Amino acid sequence: MTVMREFTKGLWKELPPFRLVLGLCPTLAVTNSADNGLGMGLAVIFVLTLSNMLISMVRSIIPKKVRIACFIVIAASLVVAVELLMQAYAYPLYQQLGIFVPLIVVNCIILGRAEAFAAKNGVAASVADGLGMGLGFTLSLTFLGSLREIWGNGTWFGHAVMWEGFEPLRIMVQAPGAFICLGLILAGMNLINVWQARRKGRDPQPLTQGCGACQACHMNHEA
Amino acid sequence: MVFVSILTLFALGLAASIVLAVASRVFHVKEDPRVEAVLEALPGANCGGCGFAGCEGYATAVVNDPSVPANKCCAGGAAVSIAVGELTGKTVAEAEPLYALRRCDKLAGKVAPRYQYQGMPSCAAAALMRGGTDVCVYSCLGFGDCVQACPFGAMEVRDGLARVDRGKCTGCGACVAACPRGILELTPQRGRVAVYCNTRDKLRAVMDVCDVGCIKCGKCVKTCPARAVRLEENRIVIDQLQCLSYGPSCGEVCVSGCPRHILRSTRKSDAPVEDAATPPAPAGGESSRPQSRA
Amino acid sequence: MEIFAIFISAIFVNNIVLAQYLGNCPYLGCSKEKSVALGMGGAVIFVIIVSTCCTWLMQRYVLDPYNLGYLQTIVFIVVIAALVQFVEMFLKKAVPPLYAALGIFLPLITTNCAVMGVAILVQREGFGLLESMLWGVAYGLGFTLALLLMAGIRERLDTCRLPKCMAGTPIALVMAGLMSLAFMGFKGMGQ
Repeated sequence: MTVMREFTKGLWKELPPFRLVLGLCPTLAVTNSADNGLGMGLAVIFVLTLSNMLISMVRSIIPKKVRIACFIVIAASLVVAVELLMQAYAYPLYQQLGIFVPLIVVNCIILGRAEAFAAKNGVAASVADGLGMGLGFTLSLTFLGSLREIWGNGTWFGHAVMWEGFEPLRIMVQAPGAFICLGLILAGMNLINVWQARRKGRDPQPLTQGCGACQACHMNHEA
Repeated sequence: MVFVSILTLFALGLAASIVLAVASRVFHVKEDPRVEAVLEALPGANCGGCGFAGCEGYATAVVNDPSVPANKCCAGGAAVSIAVGELTGKTVAEAEPLYALRRCDKLAGKVAPRYQYQGMPSCAAAALMRGGTDVCVYSCLGFGDCVQACPFGAMEVRDGLARVDRGKCTGCGACVAACPRGILELTPQRGRVAVYCNTRDKLRAVMDVCDVGCIKCGKCVKTCPARAVRLEENRIVIDQLQCLSYGPSCGEVCVSGCPRHILRSTRKSDAPVEDAATPPAPAGGESSRPQSRA
Repeated sequence: MEIFAIFISAIFVNNIVLAQYLGNCPYLGCSKEKSVALGMGGAVIFVIIVSTCCTWLMQRYVLDPYNLGYLQTIVFIVVIAALVQFVEMFLKKAVPPLYAALGIFLPLITTNCAVMGVAILVQREGFGLLESMLWGVAYGLGFTLALLLMAGIRERLDTCRLPKCMAGTPIALVMAGLMSLAFMGFKGMGQ
């Protein structure tokens, strides 16, 4: 039952890029099409689930002082594995995502979850947490990618979906579109949050905003 | 291939760790380990409530300076004070947990706006414009400078009046410093009576602008058996410690005697964490008043 | 002339935050006050220079000769992480004033993708050592510029009435979008 809860919390309650504002760089950079968003998300699921699993397995034998270094090395090894896998089986995607595949290693989600969850919980719960968070991240990226692709290109996963004569808003697939889209989505999440809280008659809890949500910096201080 | 990569990574890891180990020895800066321990015990909010520059400043001071007491951290409360006291070997006189009391209830007093304010939405700016946006020059302006200042999210402006969430308020005093009207006052959490007016005006001047303003009748001063209530510069000041030490046997005559309902018992509002001083404003009353901020 | 072109390109045309989407977390997190933005920018420039130099040497003298290109990611992150720790210790001992100014930002930088990103970018572009470091400086300056501009805007934004749901990160992102729109105007200079 708890495993199920760890899994589902990543899908809505703690949705990584939209709720906890984590891992913004890939969220912004690779979502110029739904394909890329999905691909990036899958890569992150792979790394996050396995890193959570490995870290929760070795958490008791890692000395506390060097744990961050260990987490980074584990995540980096998994990222190398993803890179090699993508080069072998999804080379076009690998080229599309470019520098952001190796940069998964510095994605705050990976380290954040490792420190906040995997280092404290058992293997099953950690895997569920990683899967849930990864899936949430994937869905968010795909959603943002779809939005930007449909508006900016008139296509969805490469298929034309808009009406004849639709004038694509090119700006949406470029950098400004990424920032503005994400900003508006976050605002929307805030709205939903407030509305939900009000319906349940509770005080609207402010969202964990910005950098503060990511514990990566904090962790380094301790290390 | 596999062997080479294993070897490379091993060598890299070893080299990095040796370099770091050597560096930590060579570049070792003698630091009092207690400073770090104290810093760890502090909440790290860097609110400045202790009067030092952030938590690190306080940690350094409390370790090195024997005259700095261990109970300065109001954000952390008693638990932190005890921890810091243990680390520094100082005896802890328990700090009275405080909260910020908003000495104004302009909603209940139906304080009217003086003019339509269109300027920068900040209390400090509005206070400079002909003594503020309200007819009472001692009222809460409600632009939320305190909300901005509060590091703990305990302040909120609702219906143009600042509210203190007593559950979240740590008594750090950041809002007190930010309020241009001096309405917020640090008060002991366990204080029995709270004053909800800050005006220095007298009689008519008060009656004209506010239904619940203090008219300086002096009833509270006269009736208090503990002599804990004073008029200071035309404001009611309660010596909370004196009031508390007298105990509840007075029956809170100041509260029942106040004709303007300025002195209120905090007992009723003890249960809800939210600032419960204001009775819920009548729905029509607020909207009929022109909103001074657009 | 070429140096000039590098700087213009890295600061304006390919600004690391606004065009390359790198280093967004500190861009949003450390852009609330100008002084903080300056400190963070300084620390990033400093670390980018040192790390670009070290990773370049690693790549040239360890990874390339032994055909270990696939280990780039893991080697770079380990080098950068160790380096940041080393720099922190070194500054604390040797240059205390600099440590006081940049110290608190240094630990945040290990997980800053701008540093790692520049290290990888200059490898992919195949620059020489000196050129790589120049690009590093220029990218760092671009990061500082973006951070500083954003901090200036956000200090003003603080005094504005915003719809509650837009306050904080959402409006910062929209602002970043508008800034990025402005920076796109520099694209024409590339030619």
